Amino acid sequence: MCCLRRFTGNLRLVVLISLIGTAGYVLVVGRTTRPAMIAASQQALRRPVGRPQLVRSESRASSDGEMCEWMPVNGQVTLASAIQHQGRLNTDPAGQGDEERTSIDADRAPIRIIRDSFPTYSAVAVDLKSNEVYLQDENLFGLKIFNRLDDTPPAARFTEPKRTIGGLETRLEFNCALYVDPKTGDVYSVNNDTVGLMTVFPHDAKGNVAPMRSLKTPHGTFGIAVNEEAQELFLTVQHDNAVVVFRKTAEKDEAPIRLLQGEQTRLADPHGIALDSKNNLLFVTNHGSVHQVIPPKKPRAAGSGKPNWPSGRLDGPVPGSGKFNPPSITVYPLKASGDTPPVHVIEGPKTQLNWPSTLALYPDRGELFVANDTGDSILVFRTTDNGDIPPLRVIKGPKTGLSYPTGLFADTKNGELWAADMGNHSATVYPLTANGDVAPLRTVRSAPLGKAALDIGNPGAAAYDSKRDEILVPN
Amino acid sequence: MHDIRYDPVHDEILVTNPFALALLVFRGGATGEEAPVRVIQGLRTQLIGSASGGSNRVYRLEVDPIHNEILVPNGDSILVFPREASGDVAPVRVIRGAATQLTDANTLAVDPMHDLIVVGDEDRPVALKVFNRTDNGNVKPRAIIAGPKTGLLSMGQIATYPPKGWILVCQPGKSGSEEDRGGVFLGVWSVFDNGDVPPRWKIGEGKGGLKRPRGVTFDPKHREVMVADMRLNAILTFYFPEIF
Repeated sequence: MCCLRRFTGNLRLVVLISLIGTAGYVLVVGRTTRPAMIAASQQALRRPVGRPQLVRSESRASSDGEMCEWMPVNGQVTLASAIQHQGRLNTDPAGQGDEERTSIDADRAPIRIIRDSFPTYSAVAVDLKSNEVYLQDENLFGLKIFNRLDDTPPAARFTEPKRTIGGLETRLEFNCALYVDPKTGDVYSVNNDTVGLMTVFPHDAKGNVAPMRSLKTPHGTFGIAVNEEAQELFLTVQHDNAVVVFRKTAEKDEAPIRLLQGEQTRLADPHGIALDSKNNLLFVTNHGSVHQVIPPKKPRAAGSGKPNWPSGRLDGPVPGSGKFNPPSITVYPLKASGDTPPVHVIEGPKTQLNWPSTLALYPDRGELFVANDTGDSILVFRTTDNGDIPPLRVIKGPKTGLSYPTGLFADTKNGELWAADMGNHSATVYPLTANGDVAPLRTVRSAPLGKAALDIGNPGAAAYDSKRDEILVPN
Repeated sequence: MHDIRYDPVHDEILVTNPFALALLVFRGGATGEEAPVRVIQGLRTQLIGSASGGSNRVYRLEVDPIHNEILVPNGDSILVFPREASGDVAPVRVIRGAATQLTDANTLAVDPMHDLIVVGDEDRPVALKVFNRTDNGNVKPRAIIAGPKTGLLSMGQIATYPPKGWILVCQPGKSGSEEDRGGVFLGVWSVFDNGDVPPRWKIGEGKGGLKRPRGVTFDPKHREVMVADMRLNAILTFYFPEIF
């Protein structure tokens, strides 16, 4: 491109010189006759041909390199070789002393933006009284509410939600879990990373509204479950490998009433949580990454010295104590606290567990449903399972429409199982007894059919792969 | 994962796993559920990360493909590992001690041309601390960029452009509201800077549209800077020829 630009520039220069030369000649010579011009041209070995001719050619003055600086095919590799072969700068390239320095406002619009403009659903819950389904949008943030029986036709661009809850007042950002109170319809939404709040909205909330109450939570909460009989609220804490239990109606700075944490628990990057109040069991999914933490010597500022606040944040990990454990489901007594070991552990290659996320229970059948995120599947186990055992049923395959399912809801009233799919802007619904590569009963889709989600979520860094001309983004 | 780096010389991708206190190295073309080619993890590594990451401990890393090293900001220290290290290995150098003034080293970048390490320390006052690349033990930083003129309140990813000696710093702004945080910008300093000095250039919340920038990288061939913005869940690419 640079060579072409240089050639074009030379041609323009030649044409310009030619025109100026001709005009100047006419001006200077005045009323020179045509025969005289021909004779002069012939003498100069040129003939009139009715178009500009090459009179003289000169090289352009050397450029400052701004336009056509030599650029390698692979900028980064050459950057590396330049570092190896060139000398360092010995002086400040800007040549400014610190005293008089001011910033140059280089603010400018981006020339490109990579951003998914459609919702991406991390969690799902159904209000069985109002027949509404709540979907948690982790891309554009907020809640989208649909009718339970909405089904996006294949030709439709997407289904409009009945209403939305979103905006700065809601404090919804990177929320990952939902619970709908079966009696009141109040909606509980758990923030995972940035806001540190569990927010509660009334069932008819709409728009950019403040939550009716909020509870400060440990950093990195993920899963939510409620024991309605005991009026207790359970949250998993990814970062601290813990489960904290609050009063169901806890708010503001209230402390947890119980804490499950410690090496014996085998909690390792815990995500989903489900309660079986009939059999007094607590189920937790674990991705497997874990480290030991130093027990607290004094009350921590992060929890304001609250009892039952998980250790880990300021007391810190034991240096070098990180481990990768296999993904698992750990099962505890419902009232477990402290460093209590699990009574069952579902773990091993036969389980197919792969980033197991949200859990849901079907107590009447004694079944446990697992949103198996990177497995693109829903796994079903018996609540009594233990060890390396295969799932009872697996919903997986191209017909299912599952794509990175992280959210799950078992609607035992209507015999349906809902999945929130992070990979395709959709929520999909199956019979509770579904097995294999089955098409969903219904799909609530919030983007054109086949449009994959970009899955840029909470990006904290970027890298440029110069070999492949690709941008790498961790989530 | 809270950091990612590409090694163009050896065609490798490097990331952190904060929960498992591990550094993972993948081949450059890795895709899908592919295993890392190397993992640095274990008691000898001393990996603990920074407190400001919460329990998100081993938060960031950097690779120096020229001198074959991996560098990690580690709270009160900087750990340096051989690039090809694997398993439970001890760092070859550790910058740690009272003289270093490191209390919460959370992010860093290396300038292999000027033989410098630039560290973002999140403790108050938030500062960029510059060390010699080969420093080891209880050594003083050769420069500290900190103070009200810097506008530094917290820091995301840092990158250096060694041929010009620039340091690119993501400044996600004040804590609090999810938006309208104030003090949001991508700033560029020089490795020659020291003290309470403003960035040479700033791209910000106005035309730049940044909400909470936390990642930065660049493509020198096209003179572009890419910024990862966590509030926008987006990558914004800026044409920024001034720095190349």
